[in-house]
Amino acid sequence: MVDWASLLQSLANGILIAGLYAAVTLGLTLVLGVMGIVNFAHGELIMLGAYSSFWLFTLLGIDPLLSLALSGVLLFFIGTGIYRFTIWPIMKDPPLNQLLLTLGLSIFFQNLAMILWKTDSRTIITSYSGMSLDLGIIHFGLTRMITFLISVVLTVLLVVFLSKTKPGRAMQAVSENNTASWLIGINVEKTYLLAFGVAAALAGAAGALVSTVMYTFPMVGFKLSLKAFCILVIGGLGNIPGTLFGSLILGITESFVGTYIPEGSGWAEGISFVLLIVILIIKPTGLAGTRRE
Amino acid sequence: MNRLISGKSFIVLIVLAVVLIFFYPRVMDSYFLHLTIAIFLAMILASSWDILARTGQVSVGQAGLFGIGAYASALLYQWIHLPPVLGILAGGILAVILAVGIGYLTLRLRGIYFSITTIAFAEALAVIWLMIPDITGGAMGVSTPPLFGGNRILAYYLILAILALVIMTVWLIEKSRLNFAFTAIRQNEDVANVMGINPTRYKVLAFMISAFFTGLAGGFYSHYNTYIIPYEVFGLNVSIACLVMPIFGGLYTILGPVIGTILVKVIEEFLRVTVPYGHQIAYGLILVVVVLFMPDGLIGLWKKRIKPLFLKKSSVG
Repeated sequence: MVDWASLLQSLANGILIAGLYAAVTLGLTLVLGVMGIVNFAHGELIMLGAYSSFWLFTLLGIDPLLSLALSGVLLFFIGTGIYRFTIWPIMKDPPLNQLLLTLGLSIFFQNLAMILWKTDSRTIITSYSGMSLDLGIIHFGLTRMITFLISVVLTVLLVVFLSKTKPGRAMQAVSENNTASWLIGINVEKTYLLAFGVAAALAGAAGALVSTVMYTFPMVGFKLSLKAFCILVIGGLGNIPGTLFGSLILGITESFVGTYIPEGSGWAEGISFVLLIVILIIKPTGLAGTRRE
Repeated sequence: MNRLISGKSFIVLIVLAVVLIFFYPRVMDSYFLHLTIAIFLAMILASSWDILARTGQVSVGQAGLFGIGAYASALLYQWIHLPPVLGILAGGILAVILAVGIGYLTLRLRGIYFSITTIAFAEALAVIWLMIPDITGGAMGVSTPPLFGGNRILAYYLILAILALVIMTVWLIEKSRLNFAFTAIRQNEDVANVMGINPTRYKVLAFMISAFFTGLAGGFYSHYNTYIIPYEVFGLNVSIACLVMPIFGGLYTILGPVIGTILVKVIEEFLRVTVPYGHQIAYGLILVVVVLFMPDGLIGLWKKRIKPLFLKKSSVG
């Protein structure tokens, strides 16, 4: 006899966490799609976003769901700075150098956070933290529900930005073919700068969401980036529908493993690696994507 | 080719160095001997990472192979009292087997798949180790009796032998046709393919060699240190150290990883005292600075900037 209530609950939890995973991964997807770089420091940008939201809440009492925009703006400027001073000079280098550079940035920010804020795990407790929403047989934590909805909004905003606005369309063109884009008069370097900035802003907003539902600590970005890499591979490197699909697969799988396997919540941490290997065995180009390998 | 020293005096230097290295433990005190062993161990990790890098692949998960080597030999000692030297060898072999698996899955794809998979691999091993404590010892770790009854001089000779083996392997690769295959694959995989080189096969081979020595280093570490825990041996810090040291020194050279290791270790020892948390910030800074300002590492800096200063008078065209 299947326990439908627990099945549904587990599915719903998986979908909610998938929303957060999508927000975490979208910036990574954008940079990869437009610039062809896997940004190993993306997780650390999220970590910085989480800390900025934590401090804004602790010191000034600003609600994380409001400071989300502030974190986004802050990270936009940090991101454009990072691009201008470290990535721009080596855009024409072999891909190996970009990988090593972003990895170096990632290690730098992880340790900077340890030096500045110690390794303590920090949490934000708001007036509505404990509340939940009952829908008959299943119920949701209010915070998780809100982070999910904001993730959906962020995704929609990104899609609208890419398809309706001029700089967004320029990004799409550059991701298709940067030489041709240059020929038709698109400023490719400016487009890279903006893409990296927008991706960092997304990371900042995602970080603020992370600070409400998880612990904030220096390695939180690294842990999340492992999940994001897995989502990237499931989705077929660098397209938005693939990223959303990958997030759903990872979120739901983790949730089911957490519910149905003994000590599952511990194992859930390793799920992203298992999924990664399974995808590489059955379809290395990604389940959703059609991009070349 | 310009040389700073003539062939004859070069040989004399080598002989002197060998004699010095051999008698070193007789004259050094215990602390410096310990530091030397740690540096030799790191040199093995650095050089074996560089072997794989010669094919253009970036492993961000050497800790997985190091940890497997460490745990294989420690657990084999605990279960069947396998002599440490054999246990260390078993660690190396097990690391090779895992490398073949990961290599065949990912090395036929673009390089980024390999890097992503290796980083996830090391983390996944840490999860597995924590989740099945009955077999692995869990978060409490595993301890073994001191290597050679705590005789540091014998431990020194063992790690020296492994290091010599690694350096010799790198030298043999440089002298053999493997060097051409590795370099061709690194510079342009499609062209290499057309030239009749099977890129996947050579990349897997390089990964196997790299994994073997990394596994050996892990095995040595567990017995020498007498105690290992998953967070440490599978940790990101190990993987990062493995790549920062050779990149700092200079890639695709014999000397680069050796020099890079010495400097990184010295910087680390210094920072460990002054910055309690986060002293690995140096690793990140070194990576960024090297990629931006000195792409061929210290060796490249020496060849391009410093060596010409000495040779100004004698250099002709």
